[in-house]
Amino acid sequence: MTDSELPQPARRGASWPDLGDLDALLLAVARGDEAAYEAAYDLVAGWVLGIVTKVLRDPAQSEEVMQEVMLDVWRRASAFDPERGSGTAWVMTLAHRRAVDRVRSERSHASREIRAARAVIEYDEVTEAVETSLDRERVRRCLGSLTALQRECVSLAYYGGYTYAEVAGLLGVPNGTVKTRMRDGLIRLRDCLGAQP
Amino acid sequence: MTAGGAELHGLAGAFVLDAVTPAERMEFEAHLRDCDQCRADVASLREAAARLGTAEAVRPRPELRAAALRAARQTSQLAPAAAGRPAAAGAGAGRRFRLSRMLLAAAAAVVIVAGAAIGMHYADLSGQSGRRSSAMVQAVLDAPDAVMRTASVGTGGIALVVTSHREHMGVFMARGLHPLPRDRRYEVWLMGPRGDRSAGLLTLRRHGMARPVLVGPVRQGDMVAVTVEPASGSLRPTSAPLVMIGQGNG
Repeated sequence: MTDSELPQPARRGASWPDLGDLDALLLAVARGDEAAYEAAYDLVAGWVLGIVTKVLRDPAQSEEVMQEVMLDVWRRASAFDPERGSGTAWVMTLAHRRAVDRVRSERSHASREIRAARAVIEYDEVTEAVETSLDRERVRRCLGSLTALQRECVSLAYYGGYTYAEVAGLLGVPNGTVKTRMRDGLIRLRDCLGAQP
Repeated sequence: MTAGGAELHGLAGAFVLDAVTPAERMEFEAHLRDCDQCRADVASLREAAARLGTAEAVRPRPELRAAALRAARQTSQLAPAAAGRPAAAGAGAGRRFRLSRMLLAAAAAVVIVAGAAIGMHYADLSGQSGRRSSAMVQAVLDAPDAVMRTASVGTGGIALVVTSHREHMGVFMARGLHPLPRDRRYEVWLMGPRGDRSAGLLTLRRHGMARPVLVGPVRQGDMVAVTVEPASGSLRPTSAPLVMIGQGNG
């Protein structure tokens, strides 16, 4: 593949790049195409750093983990299968797992409750102080359509890095309830995001 | 569907949110291989979860881009079978495996070749006697729970860290490191939740081989990293790490 045939990355700052671009780029990366990796970096690095920072809350560590994730994208690109999901979901799964693995390995028992409380509080602050990004606005609106318990379960797990058992302990509800709310919450989120332009 | 299957199926949301233990993750992944419906469910929920992440996008510092591209150029890609396997938890970018007898012997040989100089080097930094440091290096390499991880260095070469949880210590070694100008040296760091601590400056020998450096005490969540610093060393890293090796949980 020559450079001119490469799918063009979306403009910097675009709120939601064309998904087809990333899938094609990742397939090229899997063949060792460095130019495609460069373009993929420009598409996903901001997403990766965003979610990692959200989970870890430490800028220096977050940059390290982001670099690990980006190297993962390069090394593991051959595992990406567009039949099984979008490139975005694939990259974000790599990023979220690494962030969660890191935060769990260092989170001391003593600080757990404090961090959880902060996660809940900051959730509200962040959603109030959203930037103008269309995508952020859309996700915020859809999170708002969840029940309070669904939203807490999904947010504590995804943004706080907690297991369902930890979430159950923090919220004082049974494990089974948390598992169900996580699933129902994601289904409602999916349907809401799919329905909105 | 069996009762166990139904229970596992209920885990789809928690699985997608990474809100499960490693054991549950493995069990659910095994379940996914046999359940077409579950795979479809997980795939669609994963798209929704990904949007929670992308909505948090921030702009990375521009310097990170060159470092990432350089790291990729110098790292070989995994074959599809290996690439599909999840990264070991907290293992950093490095590969991680139990020390086989042969590898242990190879690592020990590096130490023997480096000889007493290792201890002197470490003593320069720590004020401890060279003999004691050398004995510690040997103790780490001989520890029954010794784990070795390797990773490529961004600017060339291979870094190797052997850690022992029992000894709370690690040994850093490297070969093939790119020579530096006279006023610069490689510095080894322990980077962790409680800040970065210097583990000492590397002394390069032939073939870019670095004398082993004892690092520690190693705490939960610490990563071993290497940066390029002024020849006198730095109190805190002043450049981006060329390599980072995690210690995992095992």
